[in-house]
Amino acid sequence: MRMVNFRLSYSARRVALALAVILVLGFLLLPGQLQTVFQTVGSPFGWIVSWPLQAVAGIHDRIADVWSQYMALQGVEEDNRQLRREMDLLQEQNAQLRESAAATERLAALLEFKKQALSTLVAAQVIGRDTGNWYKTIILNKGTSDGLQSDQGVITPAGVVGRIVKTTSSTAVVLLLTDPNNAIAGLIQRTRDEGIVEGTTHGVARLKYIPLLSTARPGDRVVTSGLVGGFPRGLAIGTISRIDKEDEALFQSAELSPEVDPNRVEEVLVILPSLFPTEGERLGAPKPKS
Amino acid sequence: MKTLLYMALIAAIVSIQSVLLPHVSLWGVKPDLGFVAVCLIGLFGGELEGLLVGLAVGWAMSLFSAQDVLSAATIKGAVGFIAGLAGRQVAYLSPAVLVVGLLAISCLVGLITPFALQLNAQQNWWWALWTIVLPQAALDAIIGGAVYWLISSHFRLEQWVSEYRI
Repeated sequence: MRMVNFRLSYSARRVALALAVILVLGFLLLPGQLQTVFQTVGSPFGWIVSWPLQAVAGIHDRIADVWSQYMALQGVEEDNRQLRREMDLLQEQNAQLRESAAATERLAALLEFKKQALSTLVAAQVIGRDTGNWYKTIILNKGTSDGLQSDQGVITPAGVVGRIVKTTSSTAVVLLLTDPNNAIAGLIQRTRDEGIVEGTTHGVARLKYIPLLSTARPGDRVVTSGLVGGFPRGLAIGTISRIDKEDEALFQSAELSPEVDPNRVEEVLVILPSLFPTEGERLGAPKPKS
Repeated sequence: MKTLLYMALIAAIVSIQSVLLPHVSLWGVKPDLGFVAVCLIGLFGGELEGLLVGLAVGWAMSLFSAQDVLSAATIKGAVGFIAGLAGRQVAYLSPAVLVVGLLAISCLVGLITPFALQLNAQQNWWWALWTIVLPQAALDAIIGGAVYWLISSHFRLEQWVSEYRI
């Protein structure tokens, strides 16, 4: 095999050394001229090389653009997700705050009513409805352990809701005012005529046994008369919407729009029996000795 | 074990019936899940089981209703017993037959109930039929049929029933 000999002759090395010294001195002493020379000589070469360079640069730029867009999109997507999460959170907080505000408003009204009206009422929440279809009742979250018993009246600040008909230790069933099987002693506030309020199958109430000579008219308010246990006198029951007078009837009757919509009741107050004087006590009759 | 299962079932039925179903009632009428459960238990478990579960369901549901405990427990117990007797007479029950049977029994019970409860004069027989009895019977039948179809399609009900009855 033939060996390649990179060894230069002595004279050639001297020539190369001299050229190197001249170039260094030239760069040091004449930089502008030398650059121009090199520029001129290298222009064609540079032009040729520029094509593939531009091509590669283009590809690189394209890839870089795509990458940066992808990365940017990734960031946007992440930002979008984050913003959506924040929006959901804020919406949820907003709904909770609205619900809290509504509950606070209701409870404040209950508290105010409780302060104004009677000193010891038991507040309860509605937790369910009747298990059957034959009665209109609501189920409260308090029972005999909280002092609730049958026949106690149930109200809201707006008016009468109904009467407790059944209790367990922790729940109570309230027969609503609008149930046809309920009966509450009522009084027309303007005319002072008394009657019996009972529910109807249409979900409203009716004041029965109004004297024929009564001047009751639509718009009159009906309140509890206090004659029957469970409710003190003067709690709102409803407003007369229609008067019915039948020929040869001994009494007239009136359809009432209840003050309280039983389908929307969420919190109620139960009137404990010892809170208000009975009609006999109110009129000064002596208490029976036990 | 079975007693515990039935107790859990009754608790679930009462909770759903009083809390959830009022929100999904149709025309103000909700299905009676207790009735459906008692019918199915009586049908496949026999008259004694139907009677006992019916009494328990009626009692539990009456605690959260204005209905008196005696009528509620008696009616549900009777339904369970009758369903048990009927179950002994049939070898195979298709969902369609069950739907028709539930519709008929629910209508019958619904027509008897106003007399048993001695309701207000406004709630007469005709009112009860159109307002409560027929819609409730339709809902009971649909739910009962759906439950039966679901159970029978996932379990070997006939084999289980035949083994259970032996």
